[in-house]
This record gives sequence, C-alpha cells and structure tokens, in this order.
Amino acid sequence: MTATLTPAEAPAPAAPEPAAAAPRKKRKRPTFGMIFAVTFLVGLTFLAFFADYLPFIRYPDDKIKGGARYGIGPGWEAWFGTEKLGRDVFARCIYGAKYSLQIGVYATIIGLIAGGFLGVLAGYYRGWVDRVVSIIIDCLLAIPALLFAILLVNRLDDVKETAEWLNWLTRQWQIVLALSILATAPLARIVRAQTMSLREREFVLAARSLGAKPARVMFREILPSLVPAMLTVAFTALSILIASEGALAFLGLGLEIGTPTWGTLIQENRTKIYDAWWATIFPCLMLFLTVLSFNIIGDGLSRRFDIRQAGV
Amino acid sequence: MSDLIQASSRDIAGPLLELTDVTTHFQTERGLVRAVDGVSFTLDRGKALGIVGESGSGKTILSRSIMGLLPPRGTVRGGSVRFEGREVGNLGRNEMRSVWGKEMAMIFQDPMTSLNPVMKIGKQIAEPLQIHLGMTKQNAWATAEKLLTDVRIPEAKRRLEQYPHEMSGGMRQRVMIAIALACGPTALFADEPTTALDVTVQAQILDLLGEQRRERNMSLVLVTHDLGVVAGHTDEIAVMYGGKLVEKAGTKRLFTHMKMPYTEALLQSIPKLEDPSHTRLHAIAGRPPDLVNPPKGCRFAARCAYATDQCVNEEPPLVAAADDPTHLYACWYPVGSPENDAAKERLAATPVSVGTAAGGN
Amino acid sequence: MAGTGTAHLRDSDDVLLRVENLVVEFPVGRTGLKVNAVSGISFDVIRGETLGLVGESGCGKSTTGRAIMQLPRPTSGSVRFEGNELTALSGDPMREARTRMQMIFQDPISSLNPRRKVRQVVMEPLNIWKRGSAQERSQKVDSILEQVGIDPQRAAESQAHQFSGGQCQRISIARSLVLDPSLIICDEPVSALDVSVQAQVLNLLEDLKKTYGLTLIFIAHDLAVVKNISDRVAVMYLGKLCEVAPSDDLYHHPMHHYTRVLLDSIPVPDPAVAVRKTAIEGEIPSPVAPPPGCRFNTRCPAAQDICRTQEPQLRELAAGHFVACHFPAETPVPNPR
Repeated sequence: MTATLTPAEAPAPAAPEPAAAAPRKKRKRPTFGMIFAVTFLVGLTFLAFFADYLPFIRYPDDKIKGGARYGIGPGWEAWFGTEKLGRDVFARCIYGAKYSLQIGVYATIIGLIAGGFLGVLAGYYRGWVDRVVSIIIDCLLAIPALLFAILLVNRLDDVKETAEWLNWLTRQWQIVLALSILATAPLARIVRAQTMSLREREFVLAARSLGAKPARVMFREILPSLVPAMLTVAFTALSILIASEGALAFLGLGLEIGTPTWGTLIQENRTKIYDAWWATIFPCLMLFLTVLSFNIIGDGLSRRFDIRQAGV
Repeated sequence: MSDLIQASSRDIAGPLLELTDVTTHFQTERGLVRAVDGVSFTLDRGKALGIVGESGSGKTILSRSIMGLLPPRGTVRGGSVRFEGREVGNLGRNEMRSVWGKEMAMIFQDPMTSLNPVMKIGKQIAEPLQIHLGMTKQNAWATAEKLLTDVRIPEAKRRLEQYPHEMSGGMRQRVMIAIALACGPTALFADEPTTALDVTVQAQILDLLGEQRRERNMSLVLVTHDLGVVAGHTDEIAVMYGGKLVEKAGTKRLFTHMKMPYTEALLQSIPKLEDPSHTRLHAIAGRPPDLVNPPKGCRFAARCAYATDQCVNEEPPLVAAADDPTHLYACWYPVGSPENDAAKERLAATPVSVGTAAGGN
Repeated sequence: MAGTGTAHLRDSDDVLLRVENLVVEFPVGRTGLKVNAVSGISFDVIRGETLGLVGESGCGKSTTGRAIMQLPRPTSGSVRFEGNELTALSGDPMREARTRMQMIFQDPISSLNPRRKVRQVVMEPLNIWKRGSAQERSQKVDSILEQVGIDPQRAAESQAHQFSGGQCQRISIARSLVLDPSLIICDEPVSALDVSVQAQVLNLLEDLKKTYGLTLIFIAHDLAVVKNISDRVAVMYLGKLCEVAPSDDLYHHPMHHYTRVLLDSIPVPDPAVAVRKTAIEGEIPSPVAPPPGCRFNTRCPAAQDICRTQEPQLRELAAGHFVACHFPAETPVPNPR
C-alpha cells in the first residue's frame, strides 16, 4: 500500500461485486419477434447483396416462358411466380430489397448525422442556438412529409437540367436526400432532449472543469451516451423511410425505369392483381415484413434502453 | 363487532410481528445471492424498531420481505413472517394487497420518484381512501386535508391542489407519510426516509414519525445506515451485516453495552461534534462480503479488528447476553468481554493489522 | 444574520482564493423573475486551509462552488484565484486556470462517464492537456489510483457502475488530482455514502491534502462532517453568509441562531442526549422572493422588527469569529486558544 493509507484503512480486496442489495437485473432472453426480425433482415440483406453470385436467384430481367398474359403462378419453377413480362418475381423482390434497403439506410445515416449534429448543438449550447434549431425542427415537422419529398424530387429534376455540377445527384440520391429530411427532425429532437439532461450530469461538468473544449465534451463525453437513443430512433425511422420509399415509387417517383424496388414492383403489377395476385402481393409482403422487422427491433431497443419515442 | 374483539384479543396474544428464520435469496447470473439469511426477531405493537446496517447488509431486502414487496421472479423465500398472528410470508401479491396500506405501509428514500408527478397531491392521497375504505370522494378529500394537517403541512387545503414538483423534498416526504398513514396501518416501514433530506428537515421528519407512532399506537420499523438517526427515535435496534442479524437490543442498552465489534465500528465511524476538527475518523476497512459466496465463519471477520482463526472458520451463534435476555448478539469476542480484551492485547502486541491481513489492493 | 459584508476577509499574501460580493442569479423561465441563488457573499481561503461551506439545500452553497469554477459564470462579483481574476478570463486562459482547481461532486456514479473504463476517465485530463508521454501518463494514473486505494488493473477493465459508491468517489478524487491542482472544491462528496464509507473518504481526503499540499473547499449540509474536516467554516443561508469562524469556535460558541439550529439538528448517536433542544419550524423560503432584512427572520426564534427591515452585516465578535446577526445568540468569549 502507499504511504497515504494506513493499513487498517486499506480497502479490502476488490470483491467481484459489492454484495448485491437488490436482485441484479436479469438479462432478458430475446423474444420470438426479435429473433424473427433479426433473422429475416440478416437473411434478406445477405440474399440482396450476393444475389449475383447465388445460383438459385435469377437475374431480374431474365424471362421465363409460360403463362402468356399474366405470367405463371408461384411454384417450383418460380417461387413467387412471374409477372406479365415473364420476369421472376422472387428475383425482382430480392433485387428490389437491395435498392430499398440501400435508400433507407443511406437516408437514415444522413438523418442521424444531421439530426445528431443539430440536436447536440442545441442541447449543449442552448440559448439562441437552441432557438434556431428548434425552429428548424418545428418547420421540418410541420411540412407534410410525403408531399415535401414529392416536391423535392420533382424540383431537383428541373434544377438538374441547368446545373451540371449536380450530375452526381442521381435519382437514387435525390430520393435519399428527400427521405433523410424526414428522419432528421425526430432524431434532432430526441438528441436535443437527451443532451440537455446529460449536459447537467456531473461527469460532463467534470470534463468541462478539467478544461476540455466544447467539441471534446460534446463528442467524447456526451455523444457515446446518446448512441442507444439514436439507434433506437434510427431503426424506427428506417422502417418508416422504407415504407415511404415504397410510397414514392408507387406514385411514380421511383428509381430509373426498369430498376426494381418494392414500390415500383407493386406499382407495375397492381392493375393485374385480380388475375396475377402474386406479382403484387409478394413485394407487398416483403415490404410489410421488412418494416415490421425494423419496428420490432426499434421497439425492443427502446425497451432495452428505456427510451421514450420522440414522435417519429 | 366480533372482528374487533378478535383483533384486540390478538393484540394481547402475542407480538405484532414475528419473524422466524426468514431467508430471501435471489437467483442471478453469478449465483444465489443470500441477501437475507436466516433472520428471526419479534416486534411488539406500538414499538419502534431500527434496522441498521451498511448498504448491502440486507436491511432493505429484509423490510421488503416482510412487506412482500419483492420481485416474484428469481426470488427464493423461506422462513415465516407472522403479522398479528397471521402468516403473511407466503401470501401472493393479490392477497397482500389487503394487507398493504391497512395493516402495513411503507415510505421510501426518494419522495420524488415515489409520487406520481402528474397527479395532484390531494388525488394521490384521496384515491386509495376511496378504493380501500370505500369513502365518498368528498369524505376522502376531507380526510386527505386532515392527514396533511397531521403531518404538519401548513395550508393543507391549498397543498391538496398542488403537484409534487411544486413542493420541497421535505414536504414531499411528509406527503408520502400522509399517504402511508391514510388507511391507518398498524405498522409503518420507513426505508431510509431521511437520507435524501437536509439535516434540519431530517430532524423534523423523524420527530413527525415518532409523534404519529405514539398518537396512532402504530409500530415503526426504521431502516437506516446511520446509528445517529435511530438513537433518539426507536425502542429497539437490530443491526444487520451480510444478510444476518448480528446484534439486537433495546436502544439504550445497545448504546451503553454494545457487544458486536461491527456495531462499535459503525458508531465510531460517525464524526462527533465534540471532537476537535481534524480528529481522525475510525473507518471500517473494506466492504461488506459478497453474498454469493459468504465467508464460512463470522461474516464480519475480514474487516474486524479482533478477528481470530476461530472467527474466520466458525460462525458465531446468535446468543443472549448473560445479564439481559433481550440483548442478542453473534460474536466470539464481544466488546467488553475478557476474550475481547485478550484480543485487544494481542492486537497491541502484533503490529500487523487486520486490514493488511485481509489483503489490500 | 444572513448578511453581507467583507469584514472577515483576511489580508495575507497566502490567500489562494478570494471571492468578493459574489452574486449568482438564474432567470425563471421567461417570467422575468429570477432565482437569487447567491446574493453577494465574500470569503477567502488561505493556502493549505480547508474551508467548510455549510447550509441546507437551496442555500446556494453548491452554486457558489460552481461559480468559483465559472461553471456557469457568476452574475457579478469577483473571484481572484492565484492572482488571476477569473471572471475576466475566457477561452484558453480560462480553461488553463480551471485545471488549477478541481471539483468533486455529490453523486459518485454520475460523475464518471458511464461508457468509459474508469482508468480512461482518470487519464482523460492528461490527454486533454497532452501532458507527458503515454508512459508517463500511465505511470501517473496508476500511482494516483493506488494512492486512493483503487486497483489500477481493475480500473482498466471496469466501468463506473461496477464499483461501489465509495469506490467511485475515490476514482473521482483520483481524477481531480492528476493535473496537480492547488484547490479542490468538494461538493457534498460524502452525502450519498454510508457512514462507514464516509469515514473512509474523509480520511482519504485529509491524507491527500497533506501529501499534495492541497487547499480544500468542502461543501456539505452536515455540520458534523464539515466541522471534522475544516479549519474554518462559513454557514450559508438563502444565498447569504451567516457566520464565519474557526470550526471549533463555531461548535463551542455558535452565535448565529441558524448555526445553532444546524448544530441541534444533527442526530446524536446516543439515546441519552438524543432529545433535541431547539427544533426549527418550517423550511427555507423560496429564493425567488427572499424575505427582506435578515433572510433568516421568518424562522428565527430571536427575530425582532429590525431583522425584517435591515440587513445585518458580518462583524467580528471574537477573534476570527464573524457573525451577521443583530442579536447574536451568545455573548462571545475571547478566543479560547
């Protein structure tokens, strides 16, 4: 022991844990829903991104003969059947998953960065910064979300014709940007609220009193504690964004013509739903299950981290 | 009427609360936590009992075991808890509901989290009265006002319309006491009721509890880590350590003739006003034992200044003092005994102290 | 009582910190009202001394501690520390000056970042200021951790919640020491701890004070604890100072009625003397609308008309013993020492 402590006061050997006064929280076993959601999403992602190399998935434009007018029904030859042009619905669903997931994930990431940044700034500095950010958040929330996305996608098309530097902004990125705006407001809001309460916590005060600069306090002390909340909201947002992407595509604001996304698949085939239900129902089912899965995960995380949802 | 007669005959028949070998264990990932490990004692009607110990001594779990306020999952309970002659240790939550409030009530350390932040104070007091005692709303609110007056809240009528956040910590604790008293319980359990409060408010709350106890002829169980808190406000004190009862005696007797070195150490660790400033405090080295693997001998042995091999290997039984059968203690070398004096001499002779023997970091 | 004045400030070259007419006010929402958290207090701390600040919650003692660190900045008043006027500093000089004084907070677990290993937490100040090489930093951190009785190995592997409250407070103390500060402000460091652990932490603070030649400001609501560790005690009530005296004098000859109340409220661990002499009625008034005159007049047993209109000034009634009261409780005896 060191000189400053008399032996009698030396703390006893570090026991594994001070005798638990209360029963320790049991780690909850994942629910059936959670297992399903994770398995489904992992499987889907795997299929979507390795579709080109997997022998049992056709290319989306390969045609199968038969079933002249509506394509053939679900069966061994084509699991989800084929659509009116004879293309395999299963393959198109899987390739559609790739685009739908990509768009959703990119939009969420942009939303996370923008919302997180705005929220941390507002929560940490408060005062006029907070007022400005709050106005931005309120504006974003007040705009009818889908309408805004439609407007943006349309307008960007017009703008692109005159501005060449915007060429990188393909249709996919236009949709991503439009959707990311939807995700920003709720994320900024929950991050702001959490930052405000964390800011008053003593460990943040301690860091400030140690002479840490604001950026260091925000990113090293506060941000790590925000991760659970941000993740939770991100998963819920993801489900909404994927559904919105479907809605946009359904309205004709999908990716370039011919690129399958779930929304386009539904839109293309819905007129034939009475004769060839499979071509519409299966993409719908995929969309439904994906949205459901993200929601289950988001819900599970929020319960695990005990976070109230900030009106997504 | 016959109920009343029965009730009063029960009063005479025996103690209000009788614990026999109560155990409460929790199943955790690390193993079985023996939070309360074989505690027996009795408490008479109208008496105040202090349960004293450090955090992790099992004092809170014990009081909750008596109340039946433990999480049902992973909890293993044993022994018997008799309340007014009736076994309550094995009752389920639904059956306990008729006992809570009317027979036993509890107040907690943090009055902010135990009150509903979005409900008016009046409603929080009146609602249980309407549900449990079947009062009309008007009656219940009138009773609520009287209760607030009883707990010395000024302007009771106006306070009924307030929300918890509009009150100070001391006021909220008073409201908690009013709620606990509402259905006229025969026993009140107070779990560290003043730890979150200022000393001045602490004094007020303790006085209030004592006053209400006497007025209502109610038993009080005061759970705390501070011997100073129980000294002036209890009739008896039970000291707990490592899930066991290690000493129990009348309050005066305990302070004048304490037997357990642990009780002595707890008392000595309190800074005394009379001592000049910078007087070195007698801290108890180390921490309470891990209750998953409690030591086989005396659980305090590792931190005890007088411990010997016997203490480490053999568990001392709970015995009564020779000159006072109500004074129980569990120690091989009780303070003031020849054995203890001998241990002190050994200590003086060998410079190696127990702190290092227990192994520093 | 509860008055202003600077009579108790000392003229010494050894004054490490001198606070004059410190005022801290917070706006209440947008109502135009303000919380008068601290209303013009002055005190000084001599190098190597421990000053105790004692009072009920809401008396402004914690706000005072934070205002010294300029977190947040006081509304007005002067804080001179090691020759610098802190209220005039900003940016890098301010950050630099803050490292010379450190703070320990009440909630031991909340004051450590829950998402980091505690050894990292203790190392953080050195990383912020890029002091020494990586090896020197580790050595310093390990030696300080050992000094406060925490196993560095375990600290490197565990997060705050894996330690007990007392251990977390030791870790906080270790963190406050790594930058070699001259002043440590302890804001209720033992209020959340069991009495047995409280004694360990108080002893540790005394030891470290000697080893490192520290100056302490010790803030608490329990006068018994404050008295034990302090050389001089300042009693605060509702944003004002009531009494400033060497700690033993304060106990033997409390002159302010509020000091007496505080002393009498302390539970005595002895059933024979546990009957209280004077219990105080009521609670501390709202700092939004503090009473005029002496701020304690609403609860004071000796209050008279003048107390409700005129604010008492701190005056010296015995050597080094200052009281702000129109009718002090005790005729002072000359300093016994």
